[in-house]
Amino acid sequence: MSYCVHCGVELDEQAKRCPLCGTPVVDPSALEPMQEAPFFASRREEVPPVSKTELALLLTGMLASVTICCSVVNLFVGRTVAWSLYVTGAAAMLWFWCVLPLLARHMPVWARLTLDVGAIGLYVYLISLALQGSWFMTLALPILILAALLVLVLGLALQGRRRSLLTAASLDILAFGVFMLGVEYFWDRYFRGQWELGWSMVIFLACVALVIPLVIMRLVPSLREEARRRFHR
Amino acid sequence: MAEPGGSWYRLDSAGQLYSAIQSDRYSAIYRFSAMMTQPVDPAALQRAVDRIMPRFPGFRVRIRRGLFWYYFEPNQAPGPFVREDILNPCPPVRFGQDNGWLVRFYYYRCRISIEVFHALSDGGGAMVFFRSLLAEYLRQTGIPVPCGRRFGVLDPDKPPRPGELEDAYSRYAGKKKGRFGLLPRAYQNLGTPEPFYTLHVTMGFVPLDQLRAKAKSYGASITEYLAAIFIRVLLDKQEREHPRRLMPVALAIPINLRGWFPSETLRNFITTVRPCIDPTLGEYTFPEIVAQVRYFMKLHINRQEMQADFTTKVRFAENRLLQLIPVALKNPVLSWNYQILGTRPYTATFTNPGSFDVPAEMRPHIKHMEVVLGQATVPRTDCASISYGNTMEITFAGTQKETDTEREFFRFLVREGIPVKIESDRP
Repeated sequence: MSYCVHCGVELDEQAKRCPLCGTPVVDPSALEPMQEAPFFASRREEVPPVSKTELALLLTGMLASVTICCSVVNLFVGRTVAWSLYVTGAAAMLWFWCVLPLLARHMPVWARLTLDVGAIGLYVYLISLALQGSWFMTLALPILILAALLVLVLGLALQGRRRSLLTAASLDILAFGVFMLGVEYFWDRYFRGQWELGWSMVIFLACVALVIPLVIMRLVPSLREEARRRFHR
Repeated sequence: MAEPGGSWYRLDSAGQLYSAIQSDRYSAIYRFSAMMTQPVDPAALQRAVDRIMPRFPGFRVRIRRGLFWYYFEPNQAPGPFVREDILNPCPPVRFGQDNGWLVRFYYYRCRISIEVFHALSDGGGAMVFFRSLLAEYLRQTGIPVPCGRRFGVLDPDKPPRPGELEDAYSRYAGKKKGRFGLLPRAYQNLGTPEPFYTLHVTMGFVPLDQLRAKAKSYGASITEYLAAIFIRVLLDKQEREHPRRLMPVALAIPINLRGWFPSETLRNFITTVRPCIDPTLGEYTFPEIVAQVRYFMKLHINRQEMQADFTTKVRFAENRLLQLIPVALKNPVLSWNYQILGTRPYTATFTNPGSFDVPAEMRPHIKHMEVVLGQATVPRTDCASISYGNTMEITFAGTQKETDTEREFFRFLVREGIPVKIESDRP
């Protein structure tokens, strides 16, 4: 019969430590205990997750039928414009966004983000085809990739540990500023052929001006306390 | 036909809620176990399950999804089959898997366990089912055990009585609804969550006579006394965490309504009371907490208030607008409703289904009883207790890594002079 010296509770004969506080059970004069089976079973069993294949098939069927119907109708109505490409692109994008997660549940976040952004890229590409524009590769795709990278960086920076509201807000505002710089860069390159800092700099500086007080507040405990007091709910 | 005993029947209002909040990561499951004096014979247990299941049509069902609500229909699939016990009790149920069974049977050395999906039955109903199963198991091993309602052991050779399947909530729902108001948020006692499928179970075994004597010295019942200790422990834990704002500590204590509203039902028929201590009002001594819990329960456990409470739930489920929403859309609404009304205002659940009484012939063959509440929707620790003979078993079960709650609870009992024996599945 062993007792935990901290908790005062009686422990299982075979317990090596107290399950409540982790204190080891030490009794040098104790006889070698008989090897009995443990009190609780040791076999683990996991219930497989609910299969979402049926739902995925249903949604796939719905999206496919909409796409096919619109493509066929496009052959007869409004033949001058390939408007069914909009519907096809939207259906493909929705499929990647909603159906794929049902089929591949354990996909890593980066892979899912890549596929989701790829789906948006595909949709925008189909729109550019329908409009017969040349802006996809030089304007839309770079902006999309920049946005995806920023979302990825923000996601990695904010996931896991619980960040303070101030840190999260600072990072979000800064990411927005960087995104605007990128938008102007690609915009200028496409329309003027050269890059000249302009309106995006104003936005970026405004973002920096917003972030500086937040960072100071984050770093100075007295200011944080003051903010907490003023804005407590 | 929507009557129990027919080809299908409706879920009661509690069952509707438990089915709606069901998810990949959550099921309302609880477990009762009996530690026998002899190692379990799985073949005899299987024979007992096969004999007993037709007598309990309320457990022999599968759940189906209609357009507007879930419903039960008799399950004709083979089984349920007894299985070797598992380390992680109360895993979620999947409606379409395991042949649709919503009740599971396990054995391990001398322990027989059942796990029940809460939409089927509450602890009171499941205890009758389990007692009848244990009696039949003993009969299968050659020990004569009498049947009879006064023992709570139902005869497997007799047909089920219609009253056992009645929706007692609907039967007793009155005209007057309870006041519907948002309860204030309580301290949540959240810890570091373990990976999914890890439910830590820590059991404390306490001599019932000493516990009763101690509770009596405070002028309280055992349930009130244990609930007060739990509240004291949670108040202290919250204070140690130095929160920005102290929250009230509130327990959800299920009350078996059969004592106030006579019913034979083996389906759900419970309501909960919410004893609560607000630490912002000042320091409470332990005897004051016991008194608060005791008077709160005395004040609020009365026929009229409890009837108004479940009438609200029954009328809510009868709401025309809610009824017309398809079940797929209704589930998130009810799930959110549960978060707001069923999780946020409570710190933990404490349930004491009472004493597990068995006929004298069964007593020499059962050592003690155990009860485990399945994991909550959030990583918190819930407490359940059951007494058998002179042993009160108190279980803390939860998915959090920390052991503070149960450690302080059992240390408190030891300081009160009550010996505690601990068993835990923690490594």
